[in-house]
Amino acid sequence: MLQITGLTKRFGGISAISDVTMTFNPGTLTAVIGPNGAGKSTFFNLISGAFRPDAGEVLFKGENITGMNRAAIVRRGIGRAFQVASFFPSMTVAENLMAAIAAHRGQWADLNHRFPRQGVRARALEVAEMLGLQDSAGVLSANLSHGDQKLLDIAVALALEPSMLLLDEPTAGMGPEERWRMIEKVQRLWQVQNLTLAFIEHDMDIVFGIASSIRVLCYGRVLAEGTPAEIRANPAVIEAYLGTPDAEDDL
Amino acid sequence: MDLDALLDCVTTSSCVVTQTVSGLIVGMLLFLVAAGLTLIFGVLKIVNFAHGTFYMLGAYLAYSVFVGTGSYVLGVLAGGAGMAVFGVVFERFLIRRVYGANVLMQLLICYAVVLICDDLVKIVWGPDFRAMGMPPEFQVPPFFIAGGVVPPFYLVLIAVTLLIGGALGLGLGLTRVGKTIRAAAINPDMVSALGINTTLLYSMVFAVGGMLAGLAGGLAAPVRSLTPGMGFSILIESFIVTVIGGMGSIAGALIAAVVLGLIRSFGTIGFPLFTEGLMYIAMIIILVVKPSGLFGKEIV
Amino acid sequence: MGRAHTLRDIAIGCLVVAVLAAIPWMLPGKAFQDFVIRCASMALFATSLNLLVGYTGLSSFGHGLFYGLGTYSFALLMQKTTVSLPLAFLLTLLISAATAVVVGAICIRLRLIYFAFVTLAMQMLAHSVIISWVGLTGGDQGLQGGIPRRVVAGIDLGNQYNLYVFSAAMLVIGLLLMRHIVATTFGTSLRMIRDNETRAAFLGISVWRVKLTVFVLAAVFASAGGMVMSLFVSGAYPELINWPISGDAIFAIVMGGVGSFLGPTVGTMILLLLNDVVTRQTEYYGLALGIIILLFALGLRRGVLDFVTERLGGRPAGGIH
Repeated sequence: MLQITGLTKRFGGISAISDVTMTFNPGTLTAVIGPNGAGKSTFFNLISGAFRPDAGEVLFKGENITGMNRAAIVRRGIGRAFQVASFFPSMTVAENLMAAIAAHRGQWADLNHRFPRQGVRARALEVAEMLGLQDSAGVLSANLSHGDQKLLDIAVALALEPSMLLLDEPTAGMGPEERWRMIEKVQRLWQVQNLTLAFIEHDMDIVFGIASSIRVLCYGRVLAEGTPAEIRANPAVIEAYLGTPDAEDDL
Repeated sequence: MDLDALLDCVTTSSCVVTQTVSGLIVGMLLFLVAAGLTLIFGVLKIVNFAHGTFYMLGAYLAYSVFVGTGSYVLGVLAGGAGMAVFGVVFERFLIRRVYGANVLMQLLICYAVVLICDDLVKIVWGPDFRAMGMPPEFQVPPFFIAGGVVPPFYLVLIAVTLLIGGALGLGLGLTRVGKTIRAAAINPDMVSALGINTTLLYSMVFAVGGMLAGLAGGLAAPVRSLTPGMGFSILIESFIVTVIGGMGSIAGALIAAVVLGLIRSFGTIGFPLFTEGLMYIAMIIILVVKPSGLFGKEIV
Repeated sequence: MGRAHTLRDIAIGCLVVAVLAAIPWMLPGKAFQDFVIRCASMALFATSLNLLVGYTGLSSFGHGLFYGLGTYSFALLMQKTTVSLPLAFLLTLLISAATAVVVGAICIRLRLIYFAFVTLAMQMLAHSVIISWVGLTGGDQGLQGGIPRRVVAGIDLGNQYNLYVFSAAMLVIGLLLMRHIVATTFGTSLRMIRDNETRAAFLGISVWRVKLTVFVLAAVFASAGGMVMSLFVSGAYPELINWPISGDAIFAIVMGGVGSFLGPTVGTMILLLLNDVVTRQTEYYGLALGIIILLFALGLRRGVLDFVTERLGGRPAGGIH
């Protein structure tokens, strides 16, 4: 699905991402983990075209998408949600989704027809339902709870019918119970929509609870990759990622 | 356009001297006003559209004190001190209410203050322009430098503005308050993190900004005619200076102010009607080439 | 459903023009007609600025460039060439659009305050050119000599009443068109960019294309407002392209409300009423206006129409961030 080779990004003289090579197979649910400052968000930004890599190659479904702009990459089917929920606060939930769908359908420059054009509203409600937001369709998004705003962010990404979805800390800023509700929704989405999904997460219970495969980044390099069981047993991960003798218990 | 006249001037030493000196005066006065503007923007992220009014009020205040006491020095000091107080009052009762509000709301508040002050000046000092005239102590024969006529007052003006600029630089670099202000201009979040009293800090910044504009007004009073509304052109010019120099950068303001002063004094000869146009072109070119100004930080 | 909305808006517009056309039969006297003509010109201009400020989040300080350009281009075309009035009108719109493409291409990549200042600089540059190009523009005396060939399809726009109805119709047509623009998907793209430019770009919107398009559209409507003013004053004057004209429009939209479509129109009426009433009462217009602005701005902290909408229980108007 997504093949990354030798990806490198420097800011000033410092390498945020150096020589990262990894593959995301179709239909997998992959957790990207690593300590703070490991370059996880930068990694997602490089894949989604927010930053231009200094070296390396990104192949999506066999096509070289390295250095393409954000819009071009989105059109090819990589959607993303942000660490800080990103949506359009002056619009309702439904309007957010309709706006995203209209943009995706290439209607954003349309000066002839009133918004929304035919079919957009129905599709928006469909997307809202995928994440259980149908009851808040008429709510102003700025007034949503923090958790629902994160869901809306994902919904906006889904409106573009991506085949791969990148979620940057979907549970950031949530309490323990809320986290699990969130992650269950993400998991169901992955199953029902048949997505290839990658997410950044700090909560190890969640990571080992749902991920089908794990990638560990540390100081901008790939430290380890494998199934949850392999990662759990990897001494380098235990050593470098958590760095304490008790780390094994956490894992 | 009169390019011949401009060519004549730049090849004649007397003309070069005269125009350079008058350009420096314009530039240095502009620098004092722009330094306050850029400082306020750097620390508070507020664009003080009423800054020209500080300059105008400083000039009128200096004029009245001079007429009353006969002392030009007292007049200038009164202009500076008066505007420092005015700056604090302005910040505390008006600007403080619109922190974080849209820039257009801030513009509107400042616009209101400009309108009010212009009319107050009309009421107090009358609608017609007033001339302070050269203070007696400077009514001495001019110097001749390389054939160019240079009134001694001009040199004093340049020296005093340089001194004030130097004192400002030293004050920002060495004193505790100055360091805090500089730190705040570079990183506003850090200030609250360090537990610095921002209320006091903001008042201080407006006091310093007001004082500089007031001093500039007082210093300029003998060589400018005082009219209600005289603040506007200096406001526009100091905006150009801050934008070219980079908003928040004092050094940038100094360089841009001097350059602009020279453009103006030599531009008057070559393009008498289009001098202002030249300044706008300079600003547009700089912004197109380097969007954050010569010394500005990139705003993300 | 969309069509029904459009038809309703058009019906309301026609009704407004009809009512305005009838008023002078009951209320003779030039004052009201003058007021409406000035209002029409200024409201077109202010609403077009709000396409940038309120809908897209582009705070332009120099929108008066296009208003002034409208007055000068139109007056010059009428005086120096022999084209008919409607053709001069269209040519002026074209000139403004072409200028806006160039100015916009330079300005829109700048952010926030830099965008504001460079637009202002552009306007002041145009003002300097007009002041110094005396042979063409009459310099600071303005373009005198009137607007010839005012009879269009048998209607003489030199007649006060005809000009009054024409201005009202221009305003209504302009407002309907702008209303349509903000109601389209393109209009939604504007709000997306204002709310969250990054996200909008991630959704496949070409942000600079949308910004440039709206910049040009706003310029076209502003210059239409300028032409109405040119007909009213029979010429063009440097004051019509100087900075306070942009200040007036900003005043109108902030006072009226940036979050409501009709906010700028309401703000224009407030501004002109204040202007007329206060100048009649006192010679200290600035003092009175300043105090009123402070009371409004510090008291409501938002535009009048936004305030009313929120009070009536509507959702908070979009506003600007």
